[in-house]
Parts: sequence; C-alpha cells; structure tokens
Amino acid sequence: MLSFRTTGYNGYGVQYSPFFDSKLAVATAANYGLVGNGRLYILNIEPNGSITSPISWETQDGLFDLSWSEVHENQVATASGDGLVKLFDFTVGQFPVMNWKEHLREVFSVNWNLVEKDKFVTASWDGLIKVWTPSRNTSLMTLQPQIDSITKTVQINQPPMSHQANHQNPGSTANCVYNAQFSPHSPSTILSCNGSSHVSVWDIRSPDMLQLDFIAHGGLEALTCDWNKYKPTVIASGGTDKSIRIWDLRMIDRPNAFGAPSPAYHTRGPSPMNELLGHEFAVRKVQWSPHDAQELMSTSYDMTSRIWRDSSNERARFLNGARGVLQMGGGCRGVFRTHKEFVIGCDYSLWGEPGWVTTTGWDEMVYVWDAKRV
Amino acid sequence: MNRLNQLLGQLSANKADAIRQKNPDDVVIVGAYRTAIGKGGRGSFKDTGSDYLLTQLFSAFLKKTGVDASLIEDVAVGNVLNRAAGATEHRAASLASGIPDTAAFVALNRQCSSGLMAISDIANKIKCGEIDCGLAAGVESMSLNYGPQAIPKLDPHVEENEGAKKCLIPMGITNENVAEKYNISREVQDEFAANSYAKASEAVASGKFKDEILPIEVTIAEEEEDDDGEDKVVYKKVVVDTDEGPRQGVTAAKLAKLKPAFKPTGVTHAGNASQVSDGAACVLLMRRSLAESKGYPIQGKFVLCCSVGVPPEIMGVGPAYAIPKVLQKSGLTVDDVSVFEINEAFAGQCLFSQKQCNIPDAKLNPKGGAIALGHPLGCTGARQYATILRELQPGEIGVTSMCIGTGMGAASVLVKE
Repeated sequence: MLSFRTTGYNGYGVQYSPFFDSKLAVATAANYGLVGNGRLYILNIEPNGSITSPISWETQDGLFDLSWSEVHENQVATASGDGLVKLFDFTVGQFPVMNWKEHLREVFSVNWNLVEKDKFVTASWDGLIKVWTPSRNTSLMTLQPQIDSITKTVQINQPPMSHQANHQNPGSTANCVYNAQFSPHSPSTILSCNGSSHVSVWDIRSPDMLQLDFIAHGGLEALTCDWNKYKPTVIASGGTDKSIRIWDLRMIDRPNAFGAPSPAYHTRGPSPMNELLGHEFAVRKVQWSPHDAQELMSTSYDMTSRIWRDSSNERARFLNGARGVLQMGGGCRGVFRTHKEFVIGCDYSLWGEPGWVTTTGWDEMVYVWDAKRV
Repeated sequence: MNRLNQLLGQLSANKADAIRQKNPDDVVIVGAYRTAIGKGGRGSFKDTGSDYLLTQLFSAFLKKTGVDASLIEDVAVGNVLNRAAGATEHRAASLASGIPDTAAFVALNRQCSSGLMAISDIANKIKCGEIDCGLAAGVESMSLNYGPQAIPKLDPHVEENEGAKKCLIPMGITNENVAEKYNISREVQDEFAANSYAKASEAVASGKFKDEILPIEVTIAEEEEDDDGEDKVVYKKVVVDTDEGPRQGVTAAKLAKLKPAFKPTGVTHAGNASQVSDGAACVLLMRRSLAESKGYPIQGKFVLCCSVGVPPEIMGVGPAYAIPKVLQKSGLTVDDVSVFEINEAFAGQCLFSQKQCNIPDAKLNPKGGAIALGHPLGCTGARQYATILRELQPGEIGVTSMCIGTGMGAASVLVKE
C-alpha cells in the first residue's frame, strides 16, 4: 500500500492518468469542502514506491471532482464549488488553461467521454448537466432533469446548526445532480443521478434526450452511478440508503408517451437486478472495474472503501435466485479500513496487474492499494 | 452553509434518526393482527383449542392483508402450555389455514415472551439472510391447558439445589417478593390496576382495538335445559371480535376489598394480577426490499430484541433490566421512545419496572395491559405488536417488554412507519 498526504486539503476525487501508468490526479478542498480553497494535485508514483507531487494548483473554491483528458496527456478538467469548470495542463504552472463559467452552483462531477474523446460532461447542484469540448468557450449543450421535490421517504430532524434567519431554510436538495457519466460503449449516452433518487439515461443525439428515468433508491438521494465497462446495459448506483444497486437498463420502462419521467409520487421504482448491502452510511461513489465485468468498488461515509462482486447475470435473470435478489448475487469481497474519515473518491488503475486501486477522503490521505489483498 | 446542510442530509444526525431510516435490508412488519382475548374458562374461546384459534387467525390474516402465502418461508409460533409447545398441532394449524407446506415451522417457548421470541426469531433469520419473509405468532388456550398438569416437577437431585428450586416458585409469590423487596404497597398496585381497567374499558368502548382485532368464528358448548327440564349441551357458532377482559367501573377502592390470593398478608390478588385468558396474535415480517418489490404496505420496522436473566424469585423485575439493555444496544434513551407496552403480569412488577426505567405514566400501556385485557401466555409478545403499532404515529419509536417466569426479561424496539 502506498500513500500520500494532501496536507491541509481533504480529498474529493482521484483518478489514474489514462496515458501514464505512474500518474494520479487528486481534487481536494480545504475545510472538508465546506468553505475555502481547493487544490489539484498531480502525483507521481516513483519506482521506489514513494509518491511525490511535482505540481499542484490552488483554486478559489473547493474542487469536488476531476477527470483526465482523453485526448491530451497533460490535461485534467476539474469541478469546482463556485460553479467553475477548469482545465489544467501540468506543463503550465500557476493557472488553468481554460475556465468555463456557466454553472450557477457547485459542480459536483466531471467525466470525460471515452469514445468521442473531445467531449466531457459536468453535473451541478444547479440542476443542470452540461456537455463541453475543450476547444470552445461555451458548453455544447445543457440537459435538465425534471425536478421531483416530492419524492423523499424520510424526513430527518436535524439539530439546529445556526440561529441566523438566512440559515433556517436549508432548501431542497431534490434537483442537485450529483453525478453524470458518459457511456464507455456509446459516445452519445449519458447516465446521471440526482438528489430526488432519480437515475436518468440521456441520448444527446435524440430530440427527446431523456431516454430512461427511474427512482433508484426508494426516494433517498442517489449520490453516484457508473456504467459497467463490459455490459452496455448494466449500470450501478449508490445512495444515502447505504445500498449499491445494479440495474439492467433493458428491464426499466421508458418514460411515458409524453416524454415525462415517472411520476413524482412514485417512490418505489423498479426492482434492481442486484443489491449489494454492507456500507453503514451513505455510498458516495461506485466504480466498475475496467478488468472484470463482475467487480466494482465503492466509497462511503462509513470510512471504508469496499470491493464487491456482482454475480447477477443480465442474460439469464432466472439464475439470479428465484425469490429475491440476494441469493447468488455475490457480495462484499473486501473492506479497506485504513482511511480515518469519510472516503469520497476512488479509481481503478488501468495499468499493470489488474486490481490496483486508489482512494482519497477527508483524512487528507491518498492511498494506492491492491483490491485483491484486502 | 448550504454545503453543510447538504452533507447533513446525507448522514443521519443521531441514533434515533438512524433507526428511523429506511434501508432495503431492514426487517419490516407488513401486518400485525390478533384475535380478541377471551376470558379463560368461561369466555368465548373456552372450548376452542389453540390450534383452531391459530388456524382461524392465520386464515383471517391472509384474507385481510392479501399477502401471497407462498412467500412465507418460515412460521414461528410461541406457546407455553401445550405439550411440546404445540410443535405438531400448530404446524397442522399453519397448513390448515392455507399456508403451503413449503413454509417451515418452529414452535418456541420462552414462557411469557414466547410470542416476542417468535418475532425475534423470524426477524433474525431475515436479517442474516436465511429467509426473506416469515410469519411470527403466539397462541395460548389457558382454558384448556392451564391447570395442575401445567405445574412442572424437578428431579429430587436437582431440587436440592437452592437456585434450581427457585424456578418452582409460583408466579404470584414472585410478585409478593418484588413488592416486599422494593416496598410497593398494595394501594399503589390497586391504583395501577384500576387505571389499567379504566384505560382498557375506555379503549374497548371507543373501538380503539377494532383495527388490530380480526373477528374469528368459533364454536362454544353451552348447557341448556331442554323441554323435559334436562341439561343438554348445545354447540353454538359465535363470531368473537371484542376483548372480554376489560370491565367498567373498577376502582382502587373496590379492588381494596379483594382478598390476597397467594399469602394471607400478601398484596397480590385477582384484581391486580393478569387475567387467565385465551388468544392468538401474529406478525408478518419481510425484508424491506421484498415488501417494496411486492408493493405491500409497511406498518413498521423491527429494530432489535434483547433478553436478560434475573433471579427467579423476583422474575417480575425482568423488564427493568431488559429495557435498558435493548435501549443501550440500539443507542436510544427513554425520551426517544413514544410508547412502552410492558406486560402487566402483576401490578407490582410492572410498577417497579416503570419506576426503574423512569417511564412517564403517559407513555406506558396507553390502552391498558394484561391486568384488564388478559395475558394468554404465549400470545402476549405478539399481541403487544398488534397493539403498539396502532398506538404509535409514523416515525415514532416503541418498546415492548415483559417479565418471564423462571427469571428473565425481554424487550424489543420497533419503529412505526
């Protein structure tokens, strides 16, 4: 296990470079991302096993996610708390090479298209998903999921944190889009999830871009989603109900004839193909393995990162257990407990022996570890 | 501030909120119903065996809830007085009611907590993935099975042991011991008992039990004089839908006139102890993901059940130890709980348990307890679930508890949804 400390900055996102087997980028934010600066680190894994940071940039607001460019080996796009999307080049110090200001609130995810490598997508708490290309000053298009502020199964009574009048109404998180991911199989398909538990699939070629929309986590917030790298119709989602759910998109009804998403009062949603349970708090990120169609990893507020096996079979659903999704569904294969705070970001290495992963979290640590050995 | 609120929404602030959270692997209650409770010996169920009570309840339950009986993978039935806890006849009852033979069956006996143990057994099996859906129940016919034959015997060698001998102490005497040891006067016990009668008879009169009771049809044998003036037995079919125990106008002053039942100087009598009764209750439990995928309405969430041991000679103090344990294990305090259903085996032990746990009067047995309603031994634990789920508001947390003969206590936590 290798480690690096992002002193003074709490980790939010981490990703292996698609061009160099020894490079990582880490998106961090000071003060747990609640207020203050952010910092983007480029990390080198040295031959002797130490990790060094040749360059890092400070930003005005916390960085919540990053994505390496798929066309330019030196560039990284970041998602920032002040609504900015920035592109950094690690041969250019001090400032980003591009700066896009369109989102009105925190940008929470950024993801590069693996097929049409000139595009990337961002998701923001302003309720919008935007598609960008590095060469243009403005976004290519904007997707807007329907706001569903009704779906919410639990009303949690929080202790008062402040007596100031303008802090009393926390506002709804229903329209916050937490994650948007381009499909690795089809260049124009985007998967997104939001605070009202909806997972949506978009086709940006189609005039009615919304292809599928369903309630994935029983009305609780859907924080993360990812495409299976081998099965084009299989996705995973995770949320504040602590579960990771595996879905076969072919088994989900399309939105009705009017193109509207499933009605807001509909809090149950379809049945997942598999359900992976074990996290003790909300699941913050799920990521399918690039090497194995049945393996995925997750991070959670329970301070662990877990490796899971999903043995459900989308081609022979009758094998998935006659009664429920639990039988023969696979399960947790390893728990990484080294982090001492919320674990937020994770990524699988594309390089070398399959199984190397990296995680980062609020304990200011980046760990590189072997998923086969936890 | 927005970011902090956002994060807070994704985490639960305290243990009570965490318990209220709805997760797909929760054990949830899809339905909890009971029969009316009949008076032992002379009530409507006096000629009905526990197996028929159970058959009628299960049939009515399946009809009422519309649940697909083939989903049930295990049936656990608590019972105290039947031979072998009713292992054979209650399996038969399960089949007779239309539950397919693919559902397994287990008979359970942990004395007065047997009904609760059935719930805990099924819930634990769901929690650890053995089953996805199970039916827990409790049933007792004290009319038919309570009597001299119910008194156990010990091998003389075992009886020599001081501790072992204590297990044979009659329940009434254990309450005398509790009252003496903790100085609980007859006056406060009578007051408590009168209060239980008042709450229960008010609840019966205003129909507060209507929702939890499934009316069932049974046969009663009645002696009638025929035309020639000779006695003959007539069998009548009756539909029973009302508790027979509660009566109006019971006051502490009236109870004060009753003679002590267990020793001449004692404080325990027929009016401040639980009644001898017949009844059955059942609770259908599922994993939440299954209940949601089938679209069954969810009544509540099972959280935790704990049992403790206490000295047999003061077995009534059981709840005073079981309740703190279950609250501590689930990270709750008495203030988080809205309703406590503590079985009133005797007024003395229930009062002691209430005082020991600092439970406010308003939260304890809002519709009366076993002193007024009756205590069909094996049924009680499941009966409390049917009752408490109608007393709690959605989101509120409830606790059920009881003392257990031979020196134990059990308590469980649930959330109404």
